[in-house]
Amino acid sequence: MILKHTKKGATVEKLKHKIKTGSSIHKRETYFGVLFALPVILGLIIFTIGPMIASLVLSFTNYRGTNAIEFIGFHNYIRLFNGEDVFFYKSLKVTFYYVILSVPLSLLSAFLVALLLNQDVIKGKALFRTIYYLPSIIPAVATSMIWMWLFNPDLGLINAALSFLRLPTSNWIYAEKTVIPSLVIMSLWSVGSTMVIFLAGLQSVPRSLYEAVVVDGGNVLHKFWYVTVPMMTPIIFFNLIMGCIGAFQAFTAAFIITEGGPNNASLFYNYYLYREAFQFGQMGHASAIAWILFVILVSITAVFFKWQKSWVYYESGGQ
Amino acid sequence: MKKSQKLLTLCLMLAIIFSGLFVGCTDKSTSDSSIDGKEIVNLKFSFWGSPFEKQAMEKALKDFEAEYDWIKVEPLYIPSDYTAKLTAMIAGNTAPDAGYISDSVILRWAEDDLFLNIFDFLENDSVLRKEDILDTAFYNWAPDKCAGLATAQEGFALMYNVEMFQKAGLPPAPTTVEDAWSWDEFVEVCKKLTIDENGKNATEVGFDHRKIKQYGLQFDNYAGVYLTVVASNNGGWLTEDGKDFGLNKPEALEALQKLADLINVHHVSPSPVQMKSLPDTSIALQTNKIAMTIGGNWSLLDFAQQDFQLGIGIMPKLDSCKTMVLSGGTAIFKTTKHPEEAWLLYRYLANPEVSLDLHAGGLWMPILRDWYTDPQLIGKWATGNDAHPEGYTDAMMNQVLNNGVAMPAFNVRNYGQMRAIVDPALDLVWLGEETAEEAMKRIEPQIIPLIEGYYTN
Repeated sequence: MILKHTKKGATVEKLKHKIKTGSSIHKRETYFGVLFALPVILGLIIFTIGPMIASLVLSFTNYRGTNAIEFIGFHNYIRLFNGEDVFFYKSLKVTFYYVILSVPLSLLSAFLVALLLNQDVIKGKALFRTIYYLPSIIPAVATSMIWMWLFNPDLGLINAALSFLRLPTSNWIYAEKTVIPSLVIMSLWSVGSTMVIFLAGLQSVPRSLYEAVVVDGGNVLHKFWYVTVPMMTPIIFFNLIMGCIGAFQAFTAAFIITEGGPNNASLFYNYYLYREAFQFGQMGHASAIAWILFVILVSITAVFFKWQKSWVYYESGGQ
Repeated sequence: MKKSQKLLTLCLMLAIIFSGLFVGCTDKSTSDSSIDGKEIVNLKFSFWGSPFEKQAMEKALKDFEAEYDWIKVEPLYIPSDYTAKLTAMIAGNTAPDAGYISDSVILRWAEDDLFLNIFDFLENDSVLRKEDILDTAFYNWAPDKCAGLATAQEGFALMYNVEMFQKAGLPPAPTTVEDAWSWDEFVEVCKKLTIDENGKNATEVGFDHRKIKQYGLQFDNYAGVYLTVVASNNGGWLTEDGKDFGLNKPEALEALQKLADLINVHHVSPSPVQMKSLPDTSIALQTNKIAMTIGGNWSLLDFAQQDFQLGIGIMPKLDSCKTMVLSGGTAIFKTTKHPEEAWLLYRYLANPEVSLDLHAGGLWMPILRDWYTDPQLIGKWATGNDAHPEGYTDAMMNQVLNNGVAMPAFNVRNYGQMRAIVDPALDLVWLGEETAEEAMKRIEPQIIPLIEGYYTN
């Protein structure tokens, strides 16, 4: 377009163009850059930031979607913290339990699988990588349905295998004590995307470092402990944060499989939030619940960022 | 690039973005044409239900349009997340003129002043009068204020596979209050119908309750079911004065424990965990996995599709013999511009005649008294069709008419919030991990602050 324009344009224009400095090109680039990014920016403002601000305001009201809005100060927050809403602490407990159990386990298993799939000795690596990644692209609903059958106490494959091996069976997702561990096991099935990130990280570890270990007389364990692990710490850190955020927002399993039961033992925070907002219509109250989760996630992330300085190694010195 | 060109590009981009955004937000304006001098009125009616219900409702609306040719009704079928979507419509000021309202919100919304008072219409109407309607069909949010009538009526009864009774050498289940089983007789029948893998029934020595092939009775751990038994033992959600937690009173606790004992003491019913291994109730009945169920009236529709002979019996008697009655409501929104036409539609739909498919098919029971007493009207839905087995009129129809108790959703304040606490606690009772007394005692401190009595007090 610009080319066409200068060709057509008069000599004066050409002259002007020549005189134009870099800053005007920069200006034009900015203009088009912003223009083309506009749909995303507007989308972010209209569909994310706008509703966030709205929900913050609503969290100080008694809004139910059907009534006249009335500001009630911190009442929604007070009700949550003083235990008047009996589900708040229960759901926090359930969610923390799930996060503490699932995040380390999923990091560990994803890391182990990535290590295995990074070995040169394994044949058909591409096939295995695909197989391990596959569960993460299966819709969560389908995954849930399959696991419901696997966990079935009478007909399920897991109990059948256990009783065949003369091992004790379990009621899995149908008992208060075992429901969260069962859901964690289920979540381990879809660690594929975490694994892929680890795999990419492993492949970018310079070979020269491993060779250096060999030259110094180190073995496999030395290679792993003194090269692989330190080089991978930024990726472990990234996956840790993403895993935490994801686990805090766990929802599908409670929604589809357990409906928060038995006896609220799987009342995930997000499911509780959904129930307050869309089943009980308590929009103001639910907004307060959502903002508390936001604050929790921001604080945990902040703590992790402080903590990382003591163990995460950046080749570039953290820049 | 010229400035004007730049401006044009920018405008175009913005136009494209915003046209996409706002195209969904337009509201169809009512047309201003007329028929026979009468201005055409457009109404919107929202409802949920199965595809079968959708078909029947759309037909009813079409018939209505034919009869009242100046009124056009746009059906708004919302099969899932009904309440959430309706809430969004109300918040966006695009609520329909009338529609189904879930029992969990109807009275709360009435207090938010969303609905017209149905009593105002009933008072001045010659076709539909208050006394024509069953007592259990009113959603009143104050003594003289009705948010809506029940869309239909649904009661509970024993439903069973006749062949399995015959095989066990049992006579058909009683259908009248006079003949109703006592609880012990009922347990005995359930035992005879519960058979282990060695072919022994639960009354025989050597019966192995860990290897049950056929259960005598299945029941859902759903409020309508357990409250039916509680009501028959003169208990209720709240005490009669509405000031105390009724489920923690001896009569209710006894009833709840009796139900739980069917699972954990008598081993004649599957626990919630064992239920996960069973197919749908209608298929479980057909394939002899269960012999009997405590069924809601609507199940008749499903059972009629299966290939087995269905029998119906009255619920066992404790202190008395009751059934809970439940249903969603239908309401007229205050925001409607055409209240009179909306009432015409409302009145039309209240008549079972216009939705006979749903009534005769087994899904619904009428809300009008005549349809329970006039043999000719009864013949139109409750007898002489595939969905309603012999004995239905005694075991279900007369029970709803004479011994029906409205679900707490019809009158108890904060019922939804209390139920969110009660049902998970009862989970442990059905699983046999707590007694009814332990569970209800444990949650009572959480329930007490929520008790605000009845709407009509």
